[in-house]
Amino acid sequence: MLATLLSATLVALDGRVIRVEVDVAPGLPGFTIVGLGDASIREARERVRGALRNAGFVHPPRRITVNLAPADVPKTGPAADLAIAVGILIGSEQFTARGDRVALIGEVSLGGDVRAVPGLLPMVAALARHGVRRVVVPAAATQEARLVREIESVPVATLAEAVDALRARRRAPPARPARVELAATAAGDGDASRLPGPAVAGFGLQPGIPDLAEVRGQVEARRALEVALAGGHGLLLIGPPGTGKTMLARTIPGLLPPLADEDALGATIIASASGEGPIRGLIRRPPFRAPHHTSSYAAMVGGGRSISPGEVTRADNGVLFLDELAEFSRDVLEALRQPLEDGRVTIVRAGGRAATMPARFQLVAATNPCPCGHHGDADGSCVCARGVAEAYVGRISGPLRDRVDLWVGMPRVPPRVLVAGPEPEASAVVATRIAAARSRQLARQGRRLNARAGGRSLRAIARLTSTTAGRLAALAEHEQLSGRGTDRLLRVARTIADLESADAVAIEHLEEAARWRAPARRPLTALAV
Amino acid sequence: MLGVGERPDAARPLSDDDRDALAVLLAVHGLGPLTLGRLIVRIGAPSRVLEVARSGGGASAIHEAARSPGGDWASLPKTVAEGIVTAATTTDRILADVRRLELRVVTPSDREFPARLRAIEIPPAALFVRGDPTPLAVQTVVAVVGTRRPSEAGRRVASRIAAALARAGATVVSGLAVGIDGAAHAAVVAEGGRTVAYIGGGHDRLFPRAHERLAAAIVDAGGAIVSEYAPGTQPSKGTFPQRNRLISGSSDAVVVVEAGARSGALLTASWALEQGRECFVVPGPIDAVASAGCLGFLRDWPGAARIVAGVPQLLDDLGLPAGAALGPVRSITAGDRIVSSTVTPVSVAALLVEADPVQHAVALALLAGATTVDELVAVTGQTVAAVLGAVTRLESRGLVRGNGGRYETAGRLAAAPAPAA
Ligand SMILES: Nc1ncnc2c1ncn2[C@@H]1O[C@H](COP(=O)(O)OP(=O)(O)OP(=O)(O)O)[C@@H](O)[C@H]1O
Ligand SMILES: [Mg+2]
Repeated sequence: MLATLLSATLVALDGRVIRVEVDVAPGLPGFTIVGLGDASIREARERVRGALRNAGFVHPPRRITVNLAPADVPKTGPAADLAIAVGILIGSEQFTARGDRVALIGEVSLGGDVRAVPGLLPMVAALARHGVRRVVVPAAATQEARLVREIESVPVATLAEAVDALRARRRAPPARPARVELAATAAGDGDASRLPGPAVAGFGLQPGIPDLAEVRGQVEARRALEVALAGGHGLLLIGPPGTGKTMLARTIPGLLPPLADEDALGATIIASASGEGPIRGLIRRPPFRAPHHTSSYAAMVGGGRSISPGEVTRADNGVLFLDELAEFSRDVLEALRQPLEDGRVTIVRAGGRAATMPARFQLVAATNPCPCGHHGDADGSCVCARGVAEAYVGRISGPLRDRVDLWVGMPRVPPRVLVAGPEPEASAVVATRIAAARSRQLARQGRRLNARAGGRSLRAIARLTSTTAGRLAALAEHEQLSGRGTDRLLRVARTIADLESADAVAIEHLEEAARWRAPARRPLTALAV
Repeated sequence: MLGVGERPDAARPLSDDDRDALAVLLAVHGLGPLTLGRLIVRIGAPSRVLEVARSGGGASAIHEAARSPGGDWASLPKTVAEGIVTAATTTDRILADVRRLELRVVTPSDREFPARLRAIEIPPAALFVRGDPTPLAVQTVVAVVGTRRPSEAGRRVASRIAAALARAGATVVSGLAVGIDGAAHAAVVAEGGRTVAYIGGGHDRLFPRAHERLAAAIVDAGGAIVSEYAPGTQPSKGTFPQRNRLISGSSDAVVVVEAGARSGALLTASWALEQGRECFVVPGPIDAVASAGCLGFLRDWPGAARIVAGVPQLLDDLGLPAGAALGPVRSITAGDRIVSSTVTPVSVAALLVEADPVQHAVALALLAGATTVDELVAVTGQTVAAVLGAVTRLESRGLVRGNGGRYETAGRLAAAPAPAA
């Protein structure tokens, strides 16, 4: 007989409802799946066959045809496994499900266990939008599914539990140790086992994140980092090895304010689609992604058959930190063009299908000035051949140059400052200022931080007088800034003004911002001389 | 070089009495050099004019004395004659002003009086000089003038030209106005050179007021501020054009850097051609407002007005050593480019005359060996933001350069002798 159930699949970041039609008919035993499925769907045959047997059910020796509809939605991944398995059981009349619209999401193992799948959150949301009121989900991802309030999620750990859940009248949800897991929720991606308990709200306590108080000296770079984070500006740190570039960038997660509701939902959906592991609540910590410089193009941009999000998307509403920037492949750097300009990334698959995903990340990058790292160092210890340094940083070009608002040198810190300098400010103090500056911007110009304010609106929010406009023009002329370079300077100045709660950009804001302008038409190495 | 007017052989320096009397007479409103000159010719020495005025006959006595036997010059205005009488009775007040402002009254018979000025159509009867008058009479004098509202590029060009002229040993003359004039004077001061500013009013009526600091720096650096007007004279629409004839007249050549269609600098350029001085014009983009007057002038005076094709070319055209176009480059800046400077280093104090306190502190810290913002903050005790802003201002003036988080002194500041601690 024919059994029809609902499930879902993931296309980029969107869940799509699919119908799973299972026909179990007399005839030569066989098992066919039709309907634009990928390899992992075809493999579902083997998993389902094993799961049925090992869970104590019968894999019927008949002609089984599974149709996944609608035909034009590409189906990927193992999320439909559970629906297929249950469909076979109903089709072969091994049990009868109550209710008409039965929806299931989950991968089944050969042993009959139900496993979590990437993208559960957007898939459950899609079912809810479709009007489905009840969905069977993997128990391991209960909390993720329950972020969607409009639908009842029924967690199951095994195929047998799924059958029970569908056969029985409604059962009370299993008493899971919700308290402990929710406690970890606040920490988002932190190490839950080491957290003190439900009171964890501030982000500064995260293990593994250095505090700004540990970074000694480098007051210019610290100030630039504060300005960059306050306004969402691209930041490039340049300096010889061991001056704290990586260390400074690693403090960023402790400096960013939590995400607002809408952004948090987006971040959680992206985390879900990326299969980042158990999601135990809305993710409010802004993402901080630090892909290695050997990362592939697909890993950075996204891709694969299911079009899974790449680093640029996973850093959406957060920071993408590219350490050793000049070591990244040219392809990868070039691929950052669209996201840097549009705040989103479009992936075109071989079949002509395209998906667009958000990628509004803030770029933070670090690099040495040359391959040996010592170009321009005070002791003149660079061993690179002439011209090598120029070529090295010459790779940082085009869109990257244009999107970096702050170019900051990090020279070697004299030992006496490292050991005995003044006590540096802690992350918590700086984070407070950053949060205040950001709320000023959001109150003034909606969801856009200054870094994304363009042209006319930039002039409007800068509130230049004839005096300040004159100074800006003079600075631009003296430094031979392009129109774009001038806008960058003004944007940074606007953020400095916001850090001071100033309504209008003043001359001193412009003059401070001018410190971090891009080197004009010179190779980047000129910075390090 | 260009022709220089000859000092009349007969001229003997004036007596102190006559010099004072001249200063008093110049303070009379409406009494210009032409009228004054004829008055002196009729009556005798300046002190005699005052004696007549004090004689009891009053204004009519002056008038009478001034009447020429042939009747060709009978028109000394009554108000002027009355003014002379009034001045004759208040000489102390006028002379007190001259002393207080530390002015010297330099007359055409003095050695310091610029020989070129004696030869212009209406030479000033005397000059009130603040500072050292010797640079007025040097071998080569070049005026650098232009608009009060220059572009940043224009300002830069004016500075470069003025600095190069100073390095080549010329005296740079200008009008102490904001804009090109100020940039030219400031660049010379920064070079440790001497520059002369001709002003269009009394020394106690400096305009713009903001240039008092620049004026003081010019005088400190051995230059001079010069006026043909007595203290108390308000600068006006009428005085500036007269002043312009002195700028061109005291120079061998005039260089117009930027001038709008109606800029007073064009008047100076016209005077220059009339007085037989060389006139150089910096051409600019045809759509730049600040260059419209320059281009128009070049078009109107083909063959007479000359183009500034570059700073070395300008020096060459003036017969000055073109090598002076290159600024002094410190050997620390680039290993393979060591250029020695022939210019006397300028004191740090002179370079920082326009600096605010934070700039001052940052510059001194850099001179003392600080290189990073960490060190600058530690040494100056200023905030990071304040230090960064001050570095930008110093950099705008070419006194500091920063790279990769390291900063150093540059230009004249790098060459300046370290101040005593
Ligand atoms: N400013 C600093 N304050 C405190 N510790 C520092 C500082 N700079 C460097 N260190 C110490 O040196 C270590 C190396 O620094 P870090 O990895 O940040 O250097 P880097 O600038 O990223 O160098 P590279 O160019 O080699 O990547 C840090 O883990 C820290 O212990
Ligand atoms: Mg590093």
